Amino acid sequence: MNFFKTFKHDTWVKPYIKQYKGLLITALILGLLTSFCAAALMFTSGYTIDKAATHPVNILLIYVPILLTRAFGIGRPVFKYIERLKSHNWVLRVTSDLRTRLYKTLESDASFFTEHHKTGDIMGLLSEDISHLQNLYLRTIFPAVISYLLTLIGSIALGVFNPSFGFFVFLLLFLEVFVVPLISVSVESARRAYQKSVKSDLYVQLTDNILGVDDWVISGRKNDFKNLTAQNITNLDTSQNKSKAFRRNRDFVLQLIFAIMIICFLIFTNLTMTHDQEQANFVAAVVLAVFPLSDAIIPVSQGFEEWPLYKDSIDRLNSIKPVPNTLPKQVELNPADFESLKINNITFEYDSNSPILIKNFSQDIHRGEKLALLGPSGIGKTTILQLILGDLRPQQGQISINGFDISQVQANREQLFSVLNQKPFLFNTTLINNVRLGNEKKSDAEVKKALERVGLKDLVESLPDKYETLVGENGSRFSGGEQERIALARILLQDAPIVLLDEPTVGLDPITENDLLETFFNVLSDKTIIWVTHHLQGIKHVDHVVFMNSDKIEMEGAPKELYQTNKHFKELYQMDQGL
Amino acid sequence: MIDKRLFRLPGTKKLLLMLAGLTLLQAFVVLFQGKYLAEALVNSWEQKSLQTIVMPMILFAVAFIFRHVFNLINTKIVESYAGKTSENIRSQLLDKVYNAGPEIISEEGTGNLVTSSLDGIDLVENYFKLIFTKLMNMSIIPPVLLIYIYTQNIASGITLTVIVPLVILFMIILGLAAQSKADSQYAQYTILSNHFLDALRGLPTLKMLGLSKRYAKNIYTVSDEYRRRTMNTLRIAILSTFALDWLTTLGIAILAVFLGLGLINNSFPLFPALVTLILAPEYFLPLRDFSNDYHATLNGKNALNSIFEILDRPTTDQADDLDDFTWDKDSTVEVNNLQFTYKGVGTDDVSLDIDHLKLSGYQRIGVIGKSGSGKTTLIRAIGGFLIPDHANIKINQQSVANFKQANWQKKLTFLPQSPYLFAGSIAENIAFYRPKASLDDIKKAADAAGLQDFINTLENGYETQIGEGGRGISGGQQQRIMLARAFLADDRHVLIFDEPTAHLDIETEYALKQPMEKLFQNHLVIFATHRLHWIKEMDYVIVMDNGKIAEQGTPDELSSHNGAYSKLIANMRGDQL
Repeated sequence: MNFFKTFKHDTWVKPYIKQYKGLLITALILGLLTSFCAAALMFTSGYTIDKAATHPVNILLIYVPILLTRAFGIGRPVFKYIERLKSHNWVLRVTSDLRTRLYKTLESDASFFTEHHKTGDIMGLLSEDISHLQNLYLRTIFPAVISYLLTLIGSIALGVFNPSFGFFVFLLLFLEVFVVPLISVSVESARRAYQKSVKSDLYVQLTDNILGVDDWVISGRKNDFKNLTAQNITNLDTSQNKSKAFRRNRDFVLQLIFAIMIICFLIFTNLTMTHDQEQANFVAAVVLAVFPLSDAIIPVSQGFEEWPLYKDSIDRLNSIKPVPNTLPKQVELNPADFESLKINNITFEYDSNSPILIKNFSQDIHRGEKLALLGPSGIGKTTILQLILGDLRPQQGQISINGFDISQVQANREQLFSVLNQKPFLFNTTLINNVRLGNEKKSDAEVKKALERVGLKDLVESLPDKYETLVGENGSRFSGGEQERIALARILLQDAPIVLLDEPTVGLDPITENDLLETFFNVLSDKTIIWVTHHLQGIKHVDHVVFMNSDKIEMEGAPKELYQTNKHFKELYQMDQGL
Repeated sequence: MIDKRLFRLPGTKKLLLMLAGLTLLQAFVVLFQGKYLAEALVNSWEQKSLQTIVMPMILFAVAFIFRHVFNLINTKIVESYAGKTSENIRSQLLDKVYNAGPEIISEEGTGNLVTSSLDGIDLVENYFKLIFTKLMNMSIIPPVLLIYIYTQNIASGITLTVIVPLVILFMIILGLAAQSKADSQYAQYTILSNHFLDALRGLPTLKMLGLSKRYAKNIYTVSDEYRRRTMNTLRIAILSTFALDWLTTLGIAILAVFLGLGLINNSFPLFPALVTLILAPEYFLPLRDFSNDYHATLNGKNALNSIFEILDRPTTDQADDLDDFTWDKDSTVEVNNLQFTYKGVGTDDVSLDIDHLKLSGYQRIGVIGKSGSGKTTLIRAIGGFLIPDHANIKINQQSVANFKQANWQKKLTFLPQSPYLFAGSIAENIAFYRPKASLDDIKKAADAAGLQDFINTLENGYETQIGEGGRGISGGQQQRIMLARAFLADDRHVLIFDEPTAHLDIETEYALKQPMEKLFQNHLVIFATHRLHWIKEMDYVIVMDNGKIAEQGTPDELSSHNGAYSKLIANMRGDQL
């Protein structure tokens, strides 16, 4: 059964149950007390009334049950309130640990990002998985555990008075809290998985409908537009209706079992507790106390229903493994001493099944040199940057810095390399905090100076919050060109001798692009630059340009020389410039 | 509490009537369930034999079963209504997207639309499921029970009547307190709650900056800070549920005490006391159910609102009255005095104000300008994706109010900056405008677009499946598929391009030039671009600035003097080698 299989090798749920044991046990006990008070309230109320109906001579005889009734009446909501707080507190504490662990795991595996680069928002998925685990605890595990404890305690308590009746009630409760939920999971798992896959197809089709609407309208294919989703909607409906019907019938069966239990209690109390009045006074108490238990017992099956969702999350989290550190002995390289970066005949493939991406690539880059790397997309330009950084390792050949293998300088890599991407990442905090990430030791004045050098001073000082402006999610407060400049300011503070630029101007209009490139090469004039770009705008800034194609270097040289000697380069350049 | 617009959805009134009937029946069986249970218990209390409680027990069981049968029927009809209605809304949304989608997308962005129609519908369905049943239960079951309780014991009736307004009052007061507390922390709160995702997405950056190891500590600190704040808010937020719980359970406790004292004083027998006590929790149950699902209904309500907003947008029911025609070398389109203003917010594109523009025959017309100058807006207006506020348009001498004319759009092929490929095979994508085209025709078109070599490398050739949005296909090949689409649709003689090569690397762009020039032949070409070399291929250039045409003419005319054209070209070109 997949339910148990999932947990067999799990390291993301089980170990955490043990953590913060005290808090967890408190939360569970409080949950138990809540149900106990609910039952006890009805018990004492029933007893109070029955006892009072016997017209006791002394009012003090029902004084104790009255007092208890009040106590349980207050106790139930109070325990429930505290229980909710405690259980949330426990879950959130575990969440903090889970998050830290997920972060550390991902941190250890630099290649994770490149591999999952293309498969959509893997980070969003993982972060949601953690929230799913929260719900697993709050909606499934806690209620289930509490109902199991109630089942055990209730049946044992009854068993003390009458072992066979206690066992009988235990069987009924066992059906309700254990058998039916498991049947529920096994019946619904496959259906839920099917619904999920149909749903994601539907998602794709609806996205096609909406993002491709221009084309649909021009094509005049209105019927096809609507029919695109029709089949999947029908399939989804059919399956969902089955789920709904199953759920309704299951809940009905749960209620029937509960009704049987009540009837049994009625018969049991009538048979065993009507020998004298004092006993009979407890009849209503016992029967009425059973009713509130349905609140704790019936929802267990619902909690189990979401299992397929949780299973996916647990499986995904368990599939991420920390990568052991296999770096060789590290050397300390003073950034000021950087002289040259040698790429010596490297060959790289992602794995043995995929085609060789980079074949026999070599370059020699000296301090202060500016190199541009061009080529069609998918040819491995970004991969070369990752190889240079040491995030990926070549299968053959070597990349070395001042004669040391690149893997030997990973400990202080940030002092040697800066990177500027197509879409630089800005954290959702203030502008000044984002820039300061480049070097946390720098003073406010130095951070502001960096922003001035990248040409943002006037813009920033015109904003109401100036340097304390929040950049918004993914830097959305600023335009693409401005985001690049902010990231550039960060790099200026970082002050590493080698700067890797990975198509920082793609998607910008040529005027913005020109201005930005002007700024880049101006403020980074003393750095060694390796610049991946997709066209020839701003190529005059570099000393050396390399054109790659799928199996070799197509042409390379100083742009001016190439222009004069290489016909193809000349054609490309003229096209680019519209000459 | 119920949105009035709900009533205009088909079947809502009928559903409410059916629910009202069912809920009334349910109220009575709940009552009977309590009554017969009380009878059985009273008999047991009087130490009567098992036979005396058989009848009440059976009646209790029957009432109990019927209660849940009614509940089952109730859920079933509500679920089928919710399913049907949300499907209906989905279908209406799709119609709306088809009829006015390009305008809505231009004005509101795609994100909003995708979320409303995909995620919104599920929330709405859930909302339907909850709102009707819970409201109905709350308004029918307690009154019926209360009337019965009054007939049994007036004092209890009064107690139960008084508690309800108290509950509501407390919930409102505490709810407001929680709301204001949550509001005051909201901005900080969202940052904290999104912090983790932000850190994960920024992990490569942190790594580059050498901060990633140290940052792990920060993850824990911030997460723990989030926990602290959440707990602070939660303490107050769940107070309202606490108040409800507290007042209802205390209500039962007080009732029990009153009834006990009354019984001692011999004011009434056991049965009315017991039945009141049994029915009291049932009396409060609908209220508690309602408050439990209150938040779920709020989300659904908001989703429904935003869907209604889209559905309620006025459709520009402009006359689609252009007669069919053939575009040939003598055809003309004349545009005079066209104005367009964006109504939505959140768009950077400028409004449009065109005095005069004439397109004719198989001209090649370049549209250039800085970003934000209105190039795209102009092109989308000509494509019929935007409806101008005002315009004199003549297509082949026929006056029309806008370009959203089926017989005009039938002549167009549109090639945007990021082409949109559909989930399906390559052949299906090429045949998009002519779904019935033969494989031979498709192959010819692919050949003309220079796709043959690429397709030959694919294991499944033309049947290769592409993901949505062209996932798995490089930018250059995506553009070639679009070109093949245009080659295949040889009855469409107007090509509209919107910066088709902006994202491509220079060699791919270079390789695309040849098939594109072939495609230009015998077509009216309208080409927005900021890549300079395309201008050389144009017969006529329109220079846009701030929503207006700054200059228009042949490239030679325009470059002969130092006007908007020359300045723009110089700026775009930058310094040379």
